Amino acid sequence: MVTVDRAARRPPTARRRGIRPTRGYRVFQAINGVILTGVVVVTLYPFLNIVARSLSDEAYIIAGRVSLVPRGFDLTSYRLVMSDAMFWTNYRNTVMYTVLATVIALVLTTCYAYVLSKPQLKGRGALVGIAVFTMFFSGGLIPNYVLITSLGMKNTVWAVVVPNAISVFNLLVMKAFFESLPAELEEAAAVDGLHTYGILLRIVLPLSKAVIATMVLFYAVSFWNSWFTAFLYLDQQDMFPVTVYLRNLIAGATGAQSAGGVADADAVQAAATLQSVTIVLTTLPILAVYPFIQRYFVSGVMLGAVKG
Amino acid sequence: MFQQTWRRAAAAVVGLLTLTLVACSEEEPNKDLSGNRAGAMADYGVGDQFTATEPVSFSMLYNNHTFYPLKEDWLLWSEITKRTNVKLEPVVVPASDYEQKRSLLIGAGDAPMIIPKTYPAQASPFVSSGAVLPVSDYLDLMPHFTEKIEKWRMQPEIDTLRQSDGKFYVLPGMHEKPWHEYSLAVRADVLDQLGLPVPKTWDDVYTMLKAMRARYPDTYPFSDRWGKPTPGGALLNFLGASYGTLAGWNYQHATWVPGEKKFVYTGASEQYKQMLQFLNKLVAEKLMDPESFTQSDDAARQKLANGRSFVISANAQTLVNELRPDLAKTQPNARLVKIPLPVGPAGEINPASRLESGVMISSKARESKNFVAMMQFIDWLYYSDAGQEFAKWGVEGTTYTKDAAGRRAPTPDVTIVGLNPRGSKHLQKDFGFANGVFAYGGKLDLVQSFFPPEELEFQKVMNGRTPIAVAPPYPLTDEEREQASLWETPLKDHVTQNSLKFILGQRPLTEWDAYVGELKAKNSEQYLDMVNKAYGRFQKSNG
Repeated sequence: MVTVDRAARRPPTARRRGIRPTRGYRVFQAINGVILTGVVVVTLYPFLNIVARSLSDEAYIIAGRVSLVPRGFDLTSYRLVMSDAMFWTNYRNTVMYTVLATVIALVLTTCYAYVLSKPQLKGRGALVGIAVFTMFFSGGLIPNYVLITSLGMKNTVWAVVVPNAISVFNLLVMKAFFESLPAELEEAAAVDGLHTYGILLRIVLPLSKAVIATMVLFYAVSFWNSWFTAFLYLDQQDMFPVTVYLRNLIAGATGAQSAGGVADADAVQAAATLQSVTIVLTTLPILAVYPFIQRYFVSGVMLGAVKG
Repeated sequence: MFQQTWRRAAAAVVGLLTLTLVACSEEEPNKDLSGNRAGAMADYGVGDQFTATEPVSFSMLYNNHTFYPLKEDWLLWSEITKRTNVKLEPVVVPASDYEQKRSLLIGAGDAPMIIPKTYPAQASPFVSSGAVLPVSDYLDLMPHFTEKIEKWRMQPEIDTLRQSDGKFYVLPGMHEKPWHEYSLAVRADVLDQLGLPVPKTWDDVYTMLKAMRARYPDTYPFSDRWGKPTPGGALLNFLGASYGTLAGWNYQHATWVPGEKKFVYTGASEQYKQMLQFLNKLVAEKLMDPESFTQSDDAARQKLANGRSFVISANAQTLVNELRPDLAKTQPNARLVKIPLPVGPAGEINPASRLESGVMISSKARESKNFVAMMQFIDWLYYSDAGQEFAKWGVEGTTYTKDAAGRRAPTPDVTIVGLNPRGSKHLQKDFGFANGVFAYGGKLDLVQSFFPPEELEFQKVMNGRTPIAVAPPYPLTDEEREQASLWETPLKDHVTQNSLKFILGQRPLTEWDAYVGELKAKNSEQYLDMVNKAYGRFQKSNG
């Protein structure tokens, strides 16, 4: 993408001088375009299909006639889902958990990554090792559960927002980014009398907007989508995030076998539209955040990647 | 905190060691309940209403259903407390992942006292950990439960629950009569058009499909659902039963042969082969959609709704809630009926089991001073006629009425499964009754009290048939179970894979002997030896 932009902006004289794209390159671009368009279609279609289903009359869905355009426009399902108080309670929980967890994760990850980016730190290798170790090995489900329970965090917000606060992948990306900042800047700041925290807060962080935005996005999306921690550590339905609500709704609509063949007397199954509506309502906010952060996105990860 | 956990873990290890040692010396369980009788009724017998003598509370795992999510102001909770002086403290788990959370809580030693909605086979993995109570040791506390076993002659079924120590660990749900739900749903209007009667046997089904295909050559008359995750799960289950074998959802490696008093390997048995032959015939003659065994339910429903198929597996619920509404929207003149289970070589049988999911008790509950009260409470709520009626229908006069003949009906403003469709309050959603956690099984008239007339008709036919013989138990020891599960997975994969190949004609049935040889190479015979040995052992010590 970047290359194409530059080619377009290049003055005409430069073109004439024969930096003109070769035939092979143009063929490559064409193929590239076709493949990427294919990818866009493949990823976009299911989403648009869900949106169309959520707005359609059920008869058309059952008849298999809804693809991209809603048929028999119908908002009853939206009204139905939105009138369920538990949906909104859980929705509010998700927003709260996501915001809180992202803040905690960002603070902890930034601190850890910044420290690790300093070559003069003693035991730096060990500290990196500890982090990387957790990428490959984990205590397992039951020990984690026992840990959280004995720390008294079960059935509290902390069980959801603390355990996954540091993602090692994000940590390494951030560390690489900090390493790529010129050390001279920090030295200059130190000469001008800033102490360590001052350097981090006034010099490094303002220069790291790109990577921070990227991390916010990564963390927020993963916390928004996560359901497993909440499912493990919470026992009260008014504490569940909306993802657990959604998962139960979808699971309730599939398979009689899980009920052992003998289902409950009135296991009326959630209609296809109801599922779609809930999916749309759940993904919409996080989709809305994407465009605003995306412009930082590429540079954030790229800077990390090149250096790292 | 950590230290405590460590200490607890150490204590657990020591405890386990002692247990093993003690187990070697054939120890009798501690039967002294004098310290556990707080709140219990001194003489509680059949027909008594259980009421704790002091207020007690029990924690319980709660399977939260999508359709009627838990509400704290349900009449169910307040009425339980009013009648029994018991307050239940539910630990809410979404139904979607109930089993996983249950394993986790039991594994972590954090399980609530009462663990309902557990299918008999699901209890086995927890036995060796000692985290679950061997309830069979405490049946004397449960008069209604033992009375039902006797009155309904449930002993053979109960015996299937026993583990290698001769005890059982789950209090099962029990039906007075087997309740078979699944069969074929057939487009009756197409039958009329072709001048055919409702098929009685699987051969009639074949004739019917053939006629349908002749009339509509562009369709596969039979396109089935419930193919995921077990290919052909429902169909193989009830078709297999008609052939006297265990297949689909109910696939079990060992089939009991009453005549020879031993088990044979299911996937290599003659009955299993005949069943495959029948399906192979349907697919080969294009009477059955080859996608039937693997397609999604939605795909199968769409084909039926669009008139591209006329026959599908169904139960009463899917018939009323899914298939008919689908058809009503696309083909208003269609009439879909669930036919009595077609009869096969096994004769006129009713394949349903009389056992259902039931209740496990956490071992920790045994130490509670209210243990006896809890067992009495469970006995009343789950096994007494009054408790079962209460759990299903609620409070007489408030949620339902009963006429002189004993027929129940919801009160005018209460609705449930198509009864009183205009009622403003829902028996499950607004009152918490007919809740899958509490209400299942029981006397025939109670089980059938929600059934619409056509399902009653279906059940009448099914109940006129002979219940299938219950296979004797063959409880495996811990080591055997471990070995068995190592053998079972590859065996089952091979059977499933080749069943599909035989049905779809990708492998000719002439290769049957080669296939049986492959199963032997995967230890099917050693497996059977083990099962037959375990059976003999159990007969010797308990027979």
